[in-house]
Order: sequence, then structure tokens, then C-alpha cells
Amino acid sequence: MSSRRLVQAGATLAICAALGGRVLAHHSAAMFDEKKTVTVEGQVKEFQLTNPHSWLLVDVTDKNGKVTTWGFEAEGPSTLARAGIRPSDLRPGTKLTITGNPMKDGRPAAIWVNAVRADGKAFNPRAGFAVR
Amino acid sequence: MRRHFTAASCVALALLAGCKGPPAAEAPGLSALPPGAVTPAGSIPDRTKEQNAALGREHKTAWDLYQALKAEAKGGQTLTPSTVPDWSGVYSRPADKNFTFDPDTPAGVATTAKLTPAYQARLEKRIADVKRGIEWDPISTCAPPGHPRWMTEPFLREFVPTPSQTWLINEMVNDIRRVYTDGRDHVAPEDRYPLQNGDSIGFWDGQKLVVHTNQLRGGIYQRQNPDYTEQVETVEIWHKLDDSTLGADVWVYDPPSLAEPWYVQQRYVKLANADKALRIRYWDCAENQNNAVHQTKDGTTQFGNFTFDSDAKK
Repeated sequence: MSSRRLVQAGATLAICAALGGRVLAHHSAAMFDEKKTVTVEGQVKEFQLTNPHSWLLVDVTDKNGKVTTWGFEAEGPSTLARAGIRPSDLRPGTKLTITGNPMKDGRPAAIWVNAVRADGKAFNPRAGFAVR
Repeated sequence: MRRHFTAASCVALALLAGCKGPPAAEAPGLSALPPGAVTPAGSIPDRTKEQNAALGREHKTAWDLYQALKAEAKGGQTLTPSTVPDWSGVYSRPADKNFTFDPDTPAGVATTAKLTPAYQARLEKRIADVKRGIEWDPISTCAPPGHPRWMTEPFLREFVPTPSQTWLINEMVNDIRRVYTDGRDHVAPEDRYPLQNGDSIGFWDGQKLVVHTNQLRGGIYQRQNPDYTEQVETVEIWHKLDDSTLGADVWVYDPPSLAEPWYVQQRYVKLANADKALRIRYWDCAENQNNAVHQTKDGTTQFGNFTFDSDAKK
């Protein structure tokens, strides 16, 4: 990794640490449990790039074959773009492992914290507020 | 950052502080520059943060401070298309210190504002509620942030100076503040009513844009930050700090909530955008029904029913 990349990575980590989980800039994140994380494996059903928040819909199949659609909330398209996340990165059918802070009420939704595609590429929307 | 405060300036400001500001109609006029002229040097000196905070306390109202700065700038100058500063680019507010109104708030400190007791109590209750998991942001239903909260939002920004007005653009809810620098005054007091971004007039002092804003609505500076009332007024000095940083010195006056004027330094950094991918798009807050939230009976934030398919998008 180049020194410039190291600096960028360090800055991003510092910003993520400073922001904690409270990065939803349109509404409070009070409905999510920021002390917990949930990780699921599935495939992208749809990547909805909308303001003020985007949603990554992921179909998760359990051992009995039942499919549950999870919604992972992130910031709007421009903030995702600043994080290097583009629509073409997460086309429908893309297999991934995704981690988020889940809803307190148990519904299948979470703040999108990090997603890792089957090819190993990671997508962290929180990096979108980094200035670089 | 170079900041100087000369003895002569101190004397001039002391004299100004002791004088009642002239009514708007008698304010010093703008001096025009010939087309193609080089932007003249400004007269308002660079000051340290502490000196700016003290300057705010020397003036009883935002209007008094604005008039003092205008006198210091000898009325200001009318720039031309060739002499307005270059503020081009896409900017954002650095988030490494979170989004609190004063980016220099020390860790563990609720606010750097000196609040009146009633508003200190409101802030403490707000912070205590968040610790209990109770939080509601008034912009959750897509109301605009309004000024001065406008300064804290973390999205894309553009700044467009022209000789007669300057547009301060925040991507969020397609939000534009207009600062008129053509010599017009605020609207007559009897015709004023509260506005989200208020009414902003200003003047140029060299490359610095000095702005006075009144006619604002009440709000909060940001989540877990203090409230302000409809009496809030601000003075801002916008200027380039370096090739990639636009700074704003901000004084907030709001007697019901602030025991003394609150001075903060805002910074907006030009984003790397070599591929031109960062573009401000129209912000339609209702385009995804899964983004709709409501305030519950206990005062916190909750989603409605989710629709996790294409029907969610309008």
C-alpha cells in the first residue's frame, strides 16, 4: 500500500471512529441498536440509490430454503460515490456478506456498516464522509 | 493561518463599539471597481480565534458587528466578474470532528456555546434523552436544516460568487442561500417574517465576503446541539484559507438562548474529483418510501412499514 493510500485509510478509520454509528444525516439512528452488529450472507436483490438514504436489498436464504429480504440503509448516492460505491458494483444477483447495526424491534433491516463481495472487495458507506 | 490584529484596528473598533450603528440607509456605500481591475486588498484584518470571539462580545447585536465590519472595510467594494474570487469546485465539511456546530468542540464537552440557563437545561435533557435511546431530529420529515444549522450538514456544497449575489449551495434538499451584495438593505422590519435561510445581505472586502443574516426560524444547530430561536441573527466572513479550503468566521447572536455571542470557525474542503463523478443531484426526499420516519409517543424515531422491493421507489 502506498503512503498516500495509508494516509487515506488512516483518515477514513479516524472519521469512522469519530462518527461512530450516528451517521444517518436525515434522521436519527435511534431505531437501530448501535451496540450490536448482524452479519448475513446473501445476494443483492436491488440497490436503490435514493435520497436522502439509499437501500441495499439483500435476499438471505436460510437452511430451510426460506428467503428473507433484508434492507441495509446508507446515505444518499453522492455520499456513496464519495465512498467509492457505485451502482455497477452491486448489481442484482451479486453475492456478498454484509454487516450492519440491526433494528431494535427485530425487523430485517440495519444500518449498512460494511459489505464484502464474493471477490473480496469491501464497501463501507461510512467512508463517504471522509474529505480527501 | 495568518492572523493579525493591529493596534490601529483595536482603536478603530473601540471607537465603533461606542457608537450606535448608522441606520441602513446611511450605511457607507459600495465603491465600484472598473471592469478588469485587480481585486483590491481588503481592510478587515485577519484576527485570531480569540480576537474574533472578543470582537463578537464587543458588539451588542449582529447588526452592530456587521456595521462595524462594514465601516472597517470602508463600505466594501463592488466586484466585477473578473475580480470575484474563484471558489469553484465541490466541497464538503470535514467530518473528523463529527457534525457539531463548533468543529473545535473538545471531546467530552457538550457545547462551546455559553447558553442561558433555560437553554442549557434543554440541551442537557436532549443529551440525556439520547443516552436513553430517545431522539427526534426536526429535519426527519425532510424539512430543510435552515440557517445557521445549514453550516453543519455533511453533504456536497458549491459556492458561486458573482458581483451582485453569491449562492451558497448545500446539496441537502436542494438548499441555496442567496447573499445579496448589490447594496440592497434587508426588507423593512414591518414586512419581515421567519424564513428557513433568512435574509442575507453582504459586501466584499477584497476577497472576503461579509454577510449579515436575519429573519430566521428557530431550530437546533445539529443533533445533540443547542436550540436557537427566531431572534437568531448571524454575521459571517467567508474567505479562502488556501487553495482547497474555504473558511467562514461565524458569529451567532440569539439573546434568549445565548448568554453571549457564539463565535465558531467553519471549514469546507474541496474534494478530489478528478473523474468529475461528484455532482450535485436533485434531492427528492420522497423518492423512497422506506425513508419515511415518524415520531413515536415516547418521542423517538421509528420507521413505518418497509417495502423491500421496487415498489418502494416512486
